[in-house]
Amino acid sequence: MSEGALLSVRELRTTFRRDGAEPLTAVDGVSFDVRRGQALAIVGESGSGKSVTMRSVMGILPRTARITGGQALFAGRDLLAIGDKELRKVRGREIAMVFQSAMEAMNPTLTLERQLTEHLLWHGICTKAEARKRAVRALGDVGIPDPEKRIRTYPFQLSGGMRQRAMIAMAMVTEPALLIADEPTTAVDVTVQRQILDLLAELKNRGTGVIMITHDLGVARYFCDDAVVMYAGRVVERAPMGRLLDDPRHPYSVGLLGSGVEVGGRDLPLRPIPGSPPDLSHRPEGCPFHPRCAQAELPRCATEQEILTIGPGRDAACWKVAVDA
Amino acid sequence: MGLAGYLGKRAVRLVLSLIAVSMLTFTLLQLAPGNFADLQRVNSGATNFGGVGTESMVGELESRYGADVPVWKQYLIFMKGAVVWDFGPSYKYASRNVQDIIAEAFPVSATLALLAVLLALLIAVPIGVFAALRQNTKTDHATMFAVTLGHALPSYLTAAFMILLFSATLKLLPSGGWNGPEDLILPVLALSLGPAAVLARYVRSSMLETLREEYVTAALAKGGPRRTVIIRHALRNSLIPLVTVAGPLLAALMTGTVFVEALLRIPGLGLYFANAAASRDMPLLMGTAMFFALILMVTNLVVDLIYGLLDPRIRTVGGGSHDGH
Repeated sequence: MSEGALLSVRELRTTFRRDGAEPLTAVDGVSFDVRRGQALAIVGESGSGKSVTMRSVMGILPRTARITGGQALFAGRDLLAIGDKELRKVRGREIAMVFQSAMEAMNPTLTLERQLTEHLLWHGICTKAEARKRAVRALGDVGIPDPEKRIRTYPFQLSGGMRQRAMIAMAMVTEPALLIADEPTTAVDVTVQRQILDLLAELKNRGTGVIMITHDLGVARYFCDDAVVMYAGRVVERAPMGRLLDDPRHPYSVGLLGSGVEVGGRDLPLRPIPGSPPDLSHRPEGCPFHPRCAQAELPRCATEQEILTIGPGRDAACWKVAVDA
Repeated sequence: MGLAGYLGKRAVRLVLSLIAVSMLTFTLLQLAPGNFADLQRVNSGATNFGGVGTESMVGELESRYGADVPVWKQYLIFMKGAVVWDFGPSYKYASRNVQDIIAEAFPVSATLALLAVLLALLIAVPIGVFAALRQNTKTDHATMFAVTLGHALPSYLTAAFMILLFSATLKLLPSGGWNGPEDLILPVLALSLGPAAVLARYVRSSMLETLREEYVTAALAKGGPRRTVIIRHALRNSLIPLVTVAGPLLAALMTGTVFVEALLRIPGLGLYFANAAASRDMPLLMGTAMFFALILMVTNLVVDLIYGLLDPRIRTVGGGSHDGH
């Protein structure tokens, strides 16, 4: 664990039970750190295990999932070991979560007031009257006009952008130290996207640690300091954001950058990565990316994967990186 | 459109439906072989089915029951009374007006129906939730197997079995009649088991659907105690659609249950309705049929109003205060 890390995840492994088959490994030895007031992007295609990683840490996995190894150190405690009762005190209070779509992540039949205050009461943070005041303030903080009036409405009565802000207010009302944002801009209009990102950047600047789960490097680069690139349940590259954009090392990161539209302002031709991400039940041996990798050297890439440190805060899970460097 | 306008529209539809029901019932009654006069003649022994009665007797019965009046006129005469809730005297129970029979028998059936549906809900909701929370486990399968059995068991069989058990063998309860509260127990039990099974299935599937909603996960991520989240976020929302099932169930039971009322000698509406149909008692059949239609439509209206009350998304449709999209 690096010094001063707010959350330090080490060798996390999560599997899913299946009927009549071996359990599926969705997260396979994932490690990363996030510091206070810093933003970490977890980048990968859908199915790469980025959401499962964070839901493992939060203890909100579906019933078929099981954490089979690893640690998640937060404020000196291993969240994976303290048990659900203790974890519940951390969840929503010290670590809060923002979801892809507020339309789905907010209960359609409860008012904003109910949804913004209930966890203040669950955690015994304050009285009901005080909770209401805090909720109004939280709504105002995320830029919702006339929060006194808005708090009495239902989520569906807000516009998409307002609703997404309200969800962020719901997460921030307990003043958590760490905010996990799971694709918070994927389901909103481009114009709203920018507002949401500005809002998250502002939270970061006020000292909240942010983990941003995204498939979009363009979104990640907006305010994230560090990046973790995931592929098929594994971390393939870890680097400061700027370094990753300028000089991606793992062939998958290179491909991901090449396939994104207008990343870092460079006008490169779009080059989609050939093939598609592996079905996790048939994960390739060795480096899971080797069947799609133009530089793969057989048989070595099909038998082993090596994590190499290639600089301060940088490593890549590709032995070829060392050869090339 | 305000609530008053909505109710007005529904009232017009209700009246039109009642007219349609009356026409249809009347036509079907005319098409059915035999009429009250014939059946009386046969039953009184004045003639047999193949034979011909004395002319004077046929004439007397025909004039008494209006068979000498053209059919369309019979209908109009009946409807003229029906508009002011006067269905005239029953043929079979000649000393009583149809509306008096309904006024006397309906409270009996309604009491049974309300208690039975209430009991059914009290049984079904916990069972449905219990099974849903243990989806695809042995407990779930066993519970749903028992529920299917309950569903397959007709109420008259349950009633007969309970008479045997509680009245004949254990001598705990009266085997029928309508004198005191103890007479309610057997029919309510017999009538509630089937609906309980239907509702339990419904609660289970509705609950499973709601439990998969992101807002349930989001509530857990806020640190909600599992039980609170299940009740406030999942159960509440899964019970809303239940209203649409419980309403018609209630209406069906309120209009009388022929078998259970016959078995337990309960003077409810079902018995009168069955007798009216069997004896071609036109006023009683028309009166009860129209009354059933009325009950059904009023119940549906009440269901829709309750639905709007429970689900804010429906409440504001039309009178909406949307500020976006």
